[in-house]
Amino acid sequence: MSDPKMKFLVVDDFSTMRRIVRNLLKELGYTNVDEAEDGVVAMQKLTSGGIDFVVTDWNMPNMTGIELLRAIRANAQLSHLPVLMITAEAKKENIVEAAQAGASGYIVKPFTAATLSEKLAKIFEKMAKT
Amino acid sequence: MSDFSGMEDLLQDFLIEAGDLLSGVDNKLVDLERTPRDLPLLNEIFRGFHTIKGGAGFLNATELVSLCHLTENLFDKLRNGELKVTPTMLDVILAATASVRSMFGELERGLQPSAADSSLMERLKQSVSGKLAQEPPPAAPVAPKPVAAPPQPAASSSSKGPDWDAYYQAITGTSPAKSVAVAQAEVVVAEAAPLDHEELHVSEEAAQQIITAAVGRRTTDKPGYQGPPGGRREGERQRDNSIRVDTARLDQVLNLSGEIGLTKNRLTALRSDILNGKNDTDTMHALDLAVSQLDLLVSDLQNAVMKTRMQPIGRLFQKYPRIARDLARSLGKDVEMLLEGEDTEIDKTMIEDLSDPIIHLIRNAVDHGIELPPERMSMGKPEKSTVRLEARQEGDHILIVVSDDGRGMNAERLRAKALEKGLISDEEANTMDERQSFNLIFLPGFSMASAVSDVSGRGVGMDVVRTNIQKLNGSIDIRSEQGKGTSFVISLPLTLAILPVLLVCLGDQPFAVPLSMVREILPIVPKEVQELGGHATMVVRGEVLPIVTLASLLGWPQDVVPEYGVLMQSAEQSFILAIDSFAGREDAVIKSLDDFRPKGVAGVTTLSNGQIVLILDMKELLTGLGENRVVTRAQLLLEGQALHAA
Repeated sequence: MSDPKMKFLVVDDFSTMRRIVRNLLKELGYTNVDEAEDGVVAMQKLTSGGIDFVVTDWNMPNMTGIELLRAIRANAQLSHLPVLMITAEAKKENIVEAAQAGASGYIVKPFTAATLSEKLAKIFEKMAKT
Repeated sequence: MSDFSGMEDLLQDFLIEAGDLLSGVDNKLVDLERTPRDLPLLNEIFRGFHTIKGGAGFLNATELVSLCHLTENLFDKLRNGELKVTPTMLDVILAATASVRSMFGELERGLQPSAADSSLMERLKQSVSGKLAQEPPPAAPVAPKPVAAPPQPAASSSSKGPDWDAYYQAITGTSPAKSVAVAQAEVVVAEAAPLDHEELHVSEEAAQQIITAAVGRRTTDKPGYQGPPGGRREGERQRDNSIRVDTARLDQVLNLSGEIGLTKNRLTALRSDILNGKNDTDTMHALDLAVSQLDLLVSDLQNAVMKTRMQPIGRLFQKYPRIARDLARSLGKDVEMLLEGEDTEIDKTMIEDLSDPIIHLIRNAVDHGIELPPERMSMGKPEKSTVRLEARQEGDHILIVVSDDGRGMNAERLRAKALEKGLISDEEANTMDERQSFNLIFLPGFSMASAVSDVSGRGVGMDVVRTNIQKLNGSIDIRSEQGKGTSFVISLPLTLAILPVLLVCLGDQPFAVPLSMVREILPIVPKEVQELGGHATMVVRGEVLPIVTLASLLGWPQDVVPEYGVLMQSAEQSFILAIDSFAGREDAVIKSLDDFRPKGVAGVTTLSNGQIVLILDMKELLTGLGENRVVTRAQLLLEGQALHAA
């Protein structure tokens, strides 16, 4: 499942952060990365197809990460997509909310390539089982 | 601690983006003061700190993370309605943003930020817990006494329960230990941080410090500092050398360079045709077409490249409402700052160099221009005063206007003051019109405040303002009406890269003078030249103007009687520059002489015929030569060669 050609969509309103995530993904060998600056743009890109994996920030204007996650899960075409939430919050409520909304994984900023790799591996593992 | 190696790019990106974000936050805070319960506003501010925190984490800037974290917690409670904004709390928050900005300053220098002022952190914590005293705490409790033993930092307080682990593992399958440990460690570090760092003590301190902190400049950048004269490229500081450009603009550049490539191919083909003896009308016509097309494309390309350097001036304006507010508050005045024309675009280099002059003008407006509320009431003016900062493009110039609705300037008093300080003579004082009198405030050593206040009145500032504006090839003008208010109008060229010049000749040698100074061109008619106090002068529409010969400015011998005079106007004086002839006007692309810079030469440019021409720095030439530049009528008109002492 962990195909290096798979296409990631990195969603964050802070371009520096998109760049950080993009670089970390590159370090892990995933070079096919698209970016979106909020949930609205992300949904547009997702519905036009081609995305295999979504990595999204939580706190964004227009459409937050959790709203994006819910929108993805509610969309028959997209509901199967793995969604990794990235946030600076390590609060219980947030994690519960993300879990309930169907997040595939949750990662707290700041993180390293190793942590990201670990999370991705877990997600791929889970996906392979189902 | 400089461990950003390999992260320089990231750091640069972060600083630019986070800097914008922080300016936005600063502005929103000023709005918040007016509408303390505006939920979307609170959300946006929360998100600002949150985003900065996230980015800072990746840079391992732990002190920045903990400061943002605390502030973010405070806003979380504010937007949830658990706490309400109070003026004291707002001061703490503003101090926090100033501290964040100073940390950006440290990052810019490649240093890990040192801990925020302990009293600030303490007051933030008090704010979060809703225990902030309404009065700012006296100096004593600031002492490095540990906070009432274990008030858990918010990040970790929620990280304790077993539920947390369970949920975390449920969706991640890993132990949260790592990240939580990091979060805790950060907060602990913040609390145990050494207290000898006295970075900021904004709240109760002088307004000057607020400004310095808010602007994130070192004091060495301020008034006394005068960069290399005529400096633009060479004056560009090390910091912040990257620029964000709209991709559409870059695409345009790319597109145009492609087109130029095609036209070049066409020309190459035509050249071989012509070299092979083909010179019929069609070929010549094609050549003509190709060259004019190239002409058009190159000027389009120049414009497009220039545009990549253009930035909306709003990025500069954003920080001023905050500065005006802080100042007004410290002076007991009620000032509202209005911004207009934030979309106006201006060369990035200029944005940086304009920062200080505009601060001085705003300080000046708030401190000197605006009256205290009782005085305003007695004048029948609204208690709240307005300082307006606007930018707009007018022709090929950008105008920046700082205006207030304060007491206005009194020409009579200005003259008296200048006379008293010995800056002008009796005679000069009597002949000055209103505009000239206003301009007196630009003289070095002139200060209107009778008591030296903290904010202004040190007699530096206004002259530096003008010097800095002139360095950008701009000018500054004052309009004022007593009792109604004062406007400072800064006029700047669109860009520094291309300078429209007039080519004047001395003998066969052309020189370039900035067209922005040229008002008109007139013939020098010997019988109209009069001598006044040892100066050769001419009367132009009732105004007596001294004649200065280009030869005397350059120290060249004058062999013939100059035929033309160029009426030049700079902020402080008008004069007629006597020259032999003209060679036209050009849009000069300035090449600065980096290491070798003769006095009075701003740079060089290449003319269309390949000739290299010096661009003269008139101001420097005029000041440099002092009394030597005075020419008598006889010298000018070469009457009685014996007098000619060149």
